[in-house]
Amino acid sequence: MRAYVEFAVKKFQDKMAYRLDFFMGIVNTAITILVYLCIYKALYGDAGEVDGISYPMVATHFVITLGLSNAFHYNEMFLQDKIRDGTITNEFLKPVSFILRLLAENIGEGAFKIIFHFIPALLITLLYTKLCPPVSLLGLPVMFCSVALGYLILWLISFIIQTWSFWLFSVWGIITIKNVFVSILSGSLLPLWFMPEPLQKILSFTPFESIYFTPVRIYLGELSGRETVFALAVQAMWVALLCVIANMFWKKGTKKLIVQGG
Amino acid sequence: MNELKIALQSLKMSVRTRMQYRVDSLVATLAVFIRESANIIVIYLALLKFDNINGWNVNEMLFLFSLLFLTYAFVVSLFADLRDFSRMIREGRFDRLMVRPRGLLFQLILNNADLMASAGHGTLGILLFLISAGKVGICWDFATILYYLGAIIGGVLLQGGMFIFFSSLSFYFLETNSLREIFYWNMRKFAGYPISIYHKLIQGLLIYVVPFAFVNYFPAQYLLRKPDLINYNEIYIYIAPLVGIAVYLSSYLFWRVSVRRYYSTGN
Repeated sequence: MRAYVEFAVKKFQDKMAYRLDFFMGIVNTAITILVYLCIYKALYGDAGEVDGISYPMVATHFVITLGLSNAFHYNEMFLQDKIRDGTITNEFLKPVSFILRLLAENIGEGAFKIIFHFIPALLITLLYTKLCPPVSLLGLPVMFCSVALGYLILWLISFIIQTWSFWLFSVWGIITIKNVFVSILSGSLLPLWFMPEPLQKILSFTPFESIYFTPVRIYLGELSGRETVFALAVQAMWVALLCVIANMFWKKGTKKLIVQGG
Repeated sequence: MNELKIALQSLKMSVRTRMQYRVDSLVATLAVFIRESANIIVIYLALLKFDNINGWNVNEMLFLFSLLFLTYAFVVSLFADLRDFSRMIREGRFDRLMVRPRGLLFQLILNNADLMASAGHGTLGILLFLISAGKVGICWDFATILYYLGAIIGGVLLQGGMFIFFSSLSFYFLETNSLREIFYWNMRKFAGYPISIYHKLIQGLLIYVVPFAFVNYFPAQYLLRKPDLINYNEIYIYIAPLVGIAVYLSSYLFWRVSVRRYYSTGN
């Protein structure tokens, strides 16, 4: 466990070295927030509420979602590059689990993005717009559990696709397509409240709803106590299921791996 | 004539390179197409619920987007090397061009057409145009067609000019990617929507600093005349095609001045 915490901390410090990157990250995040809030505002026009959802709720939804998707932004070509140049073999020799190490590094990088890109951008946003406060203090720890589960779902989906580079020449295209599906279907661009009814029904049977929408709804207090427990259970179920699938691909892939030359 | 022959030869080479990995190229084209469609799908779904965005309905929005994609399809096949210019400098590949008996910019423009991206953007642009062009109340006579073609050419030159400008900065600064990220790629994302919805500051950026507004918003306004045009000087919609030429020429001059400063990064 200690080793993995070290990996996460190391990655975090790695990121700290690039000052310009840090500054640009804040500007980028702040501009993105500003622009999307403008778009939502224009969509709302003079309407106070649409389907019982007010503009501040949408704004809050967008800001939280952006923060989470910011935290999940790392080099998804990592495994492919390792396989291509053959350095993946070094990883097998190390006395740590490759998967957990990767996860630890991504969490380290995510923590950096949240603390140094997202929070400053959020403070800038709060200067010119009002967001919904959390519904209750008790809700916050519950929300953090939900966020962690959502993060794992997102991470596992990405990892599963990355393992396909054991079989495919390049996974760049598939990763791009995956990211489009995730960004639309998880509601990170247009909240799921506003999706057509049938699509919402279908999405409730997929892991996409569990990524951002569940944590946001808990934050806004849209779910009752029982519904919250159920939503968390659904998230945990997806994590378990995706874990099994990821493990299967990883085992099959590493067995098939052939590294040429050295 | 000789120049044209080189151009065709170079294009043939690009096609051949890409065709070495047929399936991979196809997947990449599809990926670009789907990635760019994401915004369209979102705005389509949003307008199912909200009906219009600052007075623009769904077809008018698709028309606005189509200009952005159609122009970019040309930009990415002509100016791909300038898009990735800072990497080119870092890897020292720029030196190679200097010993060849043709102009530098000429070589950069012809080299390495990113045909997959071009096909992805182009298909989407044509598709959006076909869906929307008949339904937005434009009377397609000789004058409008002429203006439309002018606007496309202007839009290509404008974005190409911006690529040349950002590339020229590489001669002064080591690292220009984050600048490009903020001022080019971010602004391009915003340009898909009617700029009147934005904060005044961003409108200013899109008109005067990174003038994407002249790639799609003002040309679309010439053809559509939506009520939010009243926020701007009407002359903008008439000069839109010319802005592209002006941006291209001034970027070209800046390039000429800057390239003299170049000394290799060494190896």
